[in-house]
Amino acid sequence: MIAPVSSIHDTKGLLQTLPTLALDVPDYVYFAADNARCGAAEFYVKEGDRVLLGQLIGMRDGRFFKQPIHSSVSGTVEGFEEHYHRSGKKVKFLRIKNDHKDEWDPSIKDRSDEEIAKLTRADFAKILEANAMVGLGGSSFPTYVKFNNDKKIEVILINAIECEPYITADIRLMMEELEKVIVGITYLQIAFECKKVLICIKKKHRELIRMYQEYLRRYENSGIEVCPVGNFYPQGWEIAMIKSALGIDVATGHLPSEYGIANFNVSTVWGIYEAVKHNRPVYERRISVTGDGIKYPSNFIVRLGTPLAALLEKCGGYTEPDKDKVFILGGPMMGASLPSDDCIITKTVTSVLVFNHEAKEEAPCIRCGSCVYSCPTGLEPKQIMDAVKAFDKPRIKALNPLKCIECGLCSYVCTSHIRVTDYIRRAKMFAKTK
Amino acid sequence: MSIIKETSPHIHRKDSLARMLIDVLIALAPVSITSIAVYGLAALRNLLLPVAIMMLAEFVFVLIMNRVPYDGNKHTFKEHFQKGWKAYRLHHVLAPIVSGVIFGLLMPSGSNPGYIIYVALILGSLFGIVIGKLVFGGTGQNIFNPAAAGMVFAKLCFGSKYVYGTNGYVSAVSAGGTVLSNLTETSTNLLGRYANIGDISLWDMFLGRIPGTIGEAFKFAILIGLIYLLIRRAADWRVVLSYLGGYAALMAVAGIFVAAKVPNVNYFQFLGFSLLSGGVLFGATYMFTDPVTMPINAPGRVMYGILGAGLTVIIRVFGALPEGVAFSILICNLVAPALDHYVYSGNKFTKKKILFTCGLAAVFVLAICLGLGFQEVTV
Repeated sequence: MIAPVSSIHDTKGLLQTLPTLALDVPDYVYFAADNARCGAAEFYVKEGDRVLLGQLIGMRDGRFFKQPIHSSVSGTVEGFEEHYHRSGKKVKFLRIKNDHKDEWDPSIKDRSDEEIAKLTRADFAKILEANAMVGLGGSSFPTYVKFNNDKKIEVILINAIECEPYITADIRLMMEELEKVIVGITYLQIAFECKKVLICIKKKHRELIRMYQEYLRRYENSGIEVCPVGNFYPQGWEIAMIKSALGIDVATGHLPSEYGIANFNVSTVWGIYEAVKHNRPVYERRISVTGDGIKYPSNFIVRLGTPLAALLEKCGGYTEPDKDKVFILGGPMMGASLPSDDCIITKTVTSVLVFNHEAKEEAPCIRCGSCVYSCPTGLEPKQIMDAVKAFDKPRIKALNPLKCIECGLCSYVCTSHIRVTDYIRRAKMFAKTK
Repeated sequence: MSIIKETSPHIHRKDSLARMLIDVLIALAPVSITSIAVYGLAALRNLLLPVAIMMLAEFVFVLIMNRVPYDGNKHTFKEHFQKGWKAYRLHHVLAPIVSGVIFGLLMPSGSNPGYIIYVALILGSLFGIVIGKLVFGGTGQNIFNPAAAGMVFAKLCFGSKYVYGTNGYVSAVSAGGTVLSNLTETSTNLLGRYANIGDISLWDMFLGRIPGTIGEAFKFAILIGLIYLLIRRAADWRVVLSYLGGYAALMAVAGIFVAAKVPNVNYFQFLGFSLLSGGVLFGATYMFTDPVTMPINAPGRVMYGILGAGLTVIIRVFGALPEGVAFSILICNLVAPALDHYVYSGNKFTKKKILFTCGLAAVFVLAICLGLGFQEVTV
């Protein structure tokens, strides 16, 4: 088929009608000593110490920022164990035994609305840094960095697109935590002293759009509006979102803030609400567990550090146990596949997908051009693939693979089932070296 | 159960190379069936012989390419064969069938003497598949369209012996030629040869009641195939549109001179005649749309179509040969890699590219104006 992808069948199906289930807090939770963005962590607690819910137990040291680690249960520290991290590496995890009392750390107190109204952008940055807020949409980029500048922001975009198929956690969050999301948005308005806020939702989620429009009648003249955007993938990519919401082309290598735009994922907004209003760090998050390898796909609210096995058990385990499985953290287009299901939920795990493995053999490329037509950044994946096969560095550089956002569309559309995206990743590595 | 690690993305569009080739075969079905109904056994021979030869050639190619690699030991033929057989896939069967059917449809129903057609079919299909495709590395690697290469080779070698089925059309000028070859034989004058085109009904041309190769005359069947290909997106509409549109536009320019200077020729009669004669529609549907041999991005494909249209018109209007489609396909195939060059390739229609495309079209318009504008009519 010689055609670009207009929209991926999103298979969100009935899962988006099911309410989110609260998972029982597990007996043990685990915290990674390092993660994708930060090196080894320094822990302030030692074996046998008692920790409280929300207590600062360690600090991960990134090159440009620090990331505090907070306990998501109250209990006793029990030493280290090795598990798989979201990045696919096996890393050391701190184990905490849960005493099921959920005692909050005494430093965690609510802020009153008057206090919040007086906060400045710098105060927000401080609060979010202390509470270790990161982009909960999956990027794990520290949120406070977005507050740590004094650029004039004219419009705030809320990314509620969730363009990856299968995942429904954000849609359920928007339905169930409606009020918190909107209050979180008003906090953003305070922080950026900016009136205009657009909540970007896919056109096809008509109920959600109606729900927000109805609710926003309570916030008349607040400047918060719902902005329906296209149904295509990768609409959730910030540059595609800005393009369809505002019609502004953000040039490659520039930040949206240079154009007066700040954008946040809707679950990050929820996290900001929790951090600012209740002064709570992120200690739980919403996760979709789905895919054709799962018996009862469901959405969960889980404590951070929960081992995945507990989630899988609650979903009724795997279907067709004799078939090989692919195990993915994140969406089916960009998510990372893990070599084992021995994995721990961290802040940035948006979803867990289990597919029955289906080996597809590569056929020769017939240059149909679907990858070229589909690429959202205007690259020519087939040409880059040829250049990589030929180890032709000038050609690779001229084709500019660093623009690639690894959305995976070129592999998705390939008529010959070639994993084109892998070649582009290699091209990016080539292009980065001299 | 084990857990398999793979790279993202983890889902794929429901589509495959084999499915795309089957789509082309389905699109070829109306023409093939009409052809068999009209020409009977001759059509069956034209279709089956090249298909068999091309399949065999591709099979041998797969065996050779997938033999056991040299490791110091001697391997029996059986071992080599078994390894090659394992690499034999559905698309290795379907691709030569597609090429073979297209090639067969481009051949005439008979020859004089009669055995020549067999020689032409065998040598043409061998040339097409081997020189046109396999020497470059098989499916996806070829520069030339195998069917076009084979057809041109056979025509150059045996063209003078071809006898086209009259198929209900009685030519006053020469028996055994096509409508277009009759043109070149009517008169050597570039305009004068169109003097008698009013004799042929456009409706007959549309239905295929004219002499021609066994496939290209049945325009209605080709149109059904074209619509199917476009609906299934097995053909890129950009090439089809730019080729057919460019051809019609350039012929419309030529038609101004023809209608003005040649007596008894209606402008629209000429335009219809140009569109419905020869292999323009067939080439646009099944050969120009071969994705392997065309550029990979949208602007390149539009330029490719315009270039093909221009070359076809130039060869038809000025050439010593009656038919230019297959030649223009081969020339375009040669140019396609240049249109893809990484220095200027890209999927955006930039101003420069639009300007270049317009310039290309202008060159062809100019050539037609200069060539026909000063021509005096002699019949």
